[in-house]
Amino acid sequence: MSGESQAPGGFAAWLEERTGLSALAAVARKKTVPLHRHTAWYYLGGMTLFLFVVQVVTGILLLLYYRSSADEAFESVQFIMTKVPFGWLVRSIHSWSANLLVLVAIVHMFSVFLLKAYRRPRELTWLTGAMLLFLMLAFGFSGYLLPWNTLAFFATQVGTEVPGGVPVVGRFLLRFLRGGDQVTGGTLTRFYGFHVAVLPALTTVLLGAHLLLVQKHGMSVPESEAEARTGRPPRSLPFFPNFLLRDAIGWSAAVGVLAALAALFPWDLGEKADPFAPAPAGIRPEWYFGWMFQTLKWLPAHVLGVEGEMLGLVAFGLGGLLLVLVPFVDSGRHPRRSRALTVLGWVVVAYAAAATAVVYLKQGP
Amino acid sequence: MRAAAAVLLLWAASSAHGAEPKPAGSPPPPSTCVSCHAELDGAAAEPAAHAADDVHFQKGLSCHDCHGGNPAAAADDIEAAHDEKKGWVGKPARLGIPQLCARCHADAEFMKGFNPHTRVDQLAEYRTSVHGKRNAAGDERVAVCVDCHGVHGIRPVSDPRSSVHPTRLAETCASCHADKGRMEAYGLPTTQYADYKTSVHAAALYKNGDLGAPTCNDCHGSHGAVPPGVGSVANVCGSCHGREANLFRETEAKRGLDLDACIRCVVCHDNHAVHPPTADMLGVGPKSTCSTCHAEGDPEYRAAKDMGAAAARLKERLAAAQGLLERAERAGMEVSADSFALREAQEKVVEARVLVHSFDEARFMAAVDSGLAGAEKGVAAGRRAFRELRQRRLGLGVSLLVILAVIAGLVLKARELDRKTPSP
Amino acid sequence: MTRRRLLDWFLGTSLGAMCLSVLYPVARYVTPPDVPEAETNRALAARDGELKPNDGRVFRFGSHPALLVRDPDGSYKAFDATCTHLSCTVQYRADLKQIWCACHNGFYDLSGRVVSGPPPRALEQYTVHVANGEVVVSKT
Repeated sequence: MSGESQAPGGFAAWLEERTGLSALAAVARKKTVPLHRHTAWYYLGGMTLFLFVVQVVTGILLLLYYRSSADEAFESVQFIMTKVPFGWLVRSIHSWSANLLVLVAIVHMFSVFLLKAYRRPRELTWLTGAMLLFLMLAFGFSGYLLPWNTLAFFATQVGTEVPGGVPVVGRFLLRFLRGGDQVTGGTLTRFYGFHVAVLPALTTVLLGAHLLLVQKHGMSVPESEAEARTGRPPRSLPFFPNFLLRDAIGWSAAVGVLAALAALFPWDLGEKADPFAPAPAGIRPEWYFGWMFQTLKWLPAHVLGVEGEMLGLVAFGLGGLLLVLVPFVDSGRHPRRSRALTVLGWVVVAYAAAATAVVYLKQGP
Repeated sequence: MRAAAAVLLLWAASSAHGAEPKPAGSPPPPSTCVSCHAELDGAAAEPAAHAADDVHFQKGLSCHDCHGGNPAAAADDIEAAHDEKKGWVGKPARLGIPQLCARCHADAEFMKGFNPHTRVDQLAEYRTSVHGKRNAAGDERVAVCVDCHGVHGIRPVSDPRSSVHPTRLAETCASCHADKGRMEAYGLPTTQYADYKTSVHAAALYKNGDLGAPTCNDCHGSHGAVPPGVGSVANVCGSCHGREANLFRETEAKRGLDLDACIRCVVCHDNHAVHPPTADMLGVGPKSTCSTCHAEGDPEYRAAKDMGAAAARLKERLAAAQGLLERAERAGMEVSADSFALREAQEKVVEARVLVHSFDEARFMAAVDSGLAGAEKGVAAGRRAFRELRQRRLGLGVSLLVILAVIAGLVLKARELDRKTPSP
Repeated sequence: MTRRRLLDWFLGTSLGAMCLSVLYPVARYVTPPDVPEAETNRALAARDGELKPNDGRVFRFGSHPALLVRDPDGSYKAFDATCTHLSCTVQYRADLKQIWCACHNGFYDLSGRVVSGPPPRALEQYTVHVANGEVVVSKT
């Protein structure tokens, strides 16, 4: 269907007069997606967004029944899993999709990194994207505690201990996160507040900016596929409806995967957390934090007079900063620096993957 | 003549003892006895070494209250200290020790100054015991007070370091009763302590620290120690195992049986090596206790066989239910309410085992049937959970088919659109 | 029917079916179940009047057995029914007006305190509210 030249009538006209949406529609129709060898990677951003939407929807459904106090949290999740019709489905999808979301977000970011899509003028897109990844990790960490089972309780205890080691602000950070000196029901309420209000608000702002910037700049074409290199004119696909249909295929497949995971491997309840019981063997944080904890375990107690753990924390902090600043480190003007950064990226990913594998091989699933 | 002199001296010493009881914790009165003996070597120093630990010293009594003599004698003046005119008896004769201790401990007026609840009948009880009777007959080898309670560092019974504290009493008794050399002369066995150590009571006492669990004196008595007679074993066990004892008595009364022939608890459960009852004990199998007396052809034999079979069936159905529920839980289904209900059925096993002591087949079967009903409910719940699991998987299959159809449709539509909109 | 229209119909129908297969569970989910909330610190022990004075019954409270006792004077008391000795389930003895553990003859009074036998500690006592003809037991 080519663009219609006659003025819209009836309800469409009524809407147009009040909202001026047809201008948006015109912009949308013009949006194209470059077609080349690496086009497939473009799907990842949309997939991340889709999984986030799944989290929002299932999360809203869960909060219709969930209770965020230490006395009732575990029982309310048990209630959802047993008494609420399809409660088991909603909860299991929420838990599985959380993990898939982090995984896809990481792969999305790494593909953008390798394709160097962060270069000018897309530095701010990268910036907002990196911060969104940190927000997703914060969602994961805060959400993990909410079922208030033994594993979650002790994983949170270990996990909030680490920021306490940061110099100067560590103690404040730890007390801010925990709502006190120890992990208690107060921590649960606070994490719930983070999880359903603070983090969504921040995400809305950053995601909005991220998406607007993507629309503004369009999809970047990797250097290797640029016309200058291939000698061919660039091919592209209209976003509406062609690329969107393809996106929909991926999203439908994702729904299928989530449904299968929820039905075949329902998320378990665990045992209600008992703050007075000793920590059981085999506590660990979620898989996406595992490599950091393994690294801290590997570091020697003292390095050149500095506490090993503190060094590790500082290293992670610097690493996070470097991640955010990638577009400024590699602006494209220094090819050797670009290559070095790419290699560094691979090394870090390979190391993180290996460390994660060690965590699971040592302790079992 | 010697005995008369001893009695005379004891009486003299007793009138020397009028020491007023001091409040607990007050330091022992200064005494030449202690200060002198502390400087001696070897065995002579032993009494002084334990003075601080001894409950008598802590209550304000001292050496002369038992041994006589002059505690205020000048240092190094042995003759003045060991003054027979002041009641000095030296080391008391072994046979006379019970009376020596009873001088105070059987004196209600004296003892209530220390503790209004304390018992004063220990000597009377002792006299009823085998130890006491043989002591009265002149046997120097049997136990007297100091053999169990210690001589100089005597601690209260409630002190865990006391040799007669529940956690240490069995060893104290065993120091003689597990000694073959000593017991041979009386023709007594020496296996009791070893047997007791294997028992469930010993495990409760020593491993779990359960001071409610019995040790030697809980069944045999503390001072009036006798082997419980045929008539009293059940009473002894029944002081804790009330239900079983009541059932025995009911059975005897109701059915006019004389269960003495079976020596009650001991025949099936042993007296010292009491182990947790097992399913094998009921029925007519090789390890069963019923078949030790009841032969094939007796009506009791048939009853035992039926009861054993019923108990086995209950166990099997409970295991089936438990297994189903555990598998359902591992598969992701939530079955905590059903698992809880199964607990009640599992308690029926205990109830049925208790009802064995009624020797009433009908009552036993009623408990088993009630347990079986619970077990069947558990099995049904497990099956329900698996049915729901299958339904979930069916639902998943259907929705996956729908999703596949959607994907197929999308793919075809995308291809069609691509054909229509050639890329620029 | 052209191929295109067949495809559109197929896609539309299957998308509709997929939407239904999402909306149906969501609709069922948001419809409140029979018991509207998790019974966590509270449990419905009995209906008022079910238990006669000087009677007791064991009921489920969370994952533990609990004992509801009705005093001879008519008031309700509730305890954790797990004996503090070796965790057998206790019961009410109307003849003695005491709580009894059949396993080793432990006795508790109607405040949960140990009267005789091996139990080392008192029974944990719960709060009882009677409202709307229901006897509700709670931990606080």
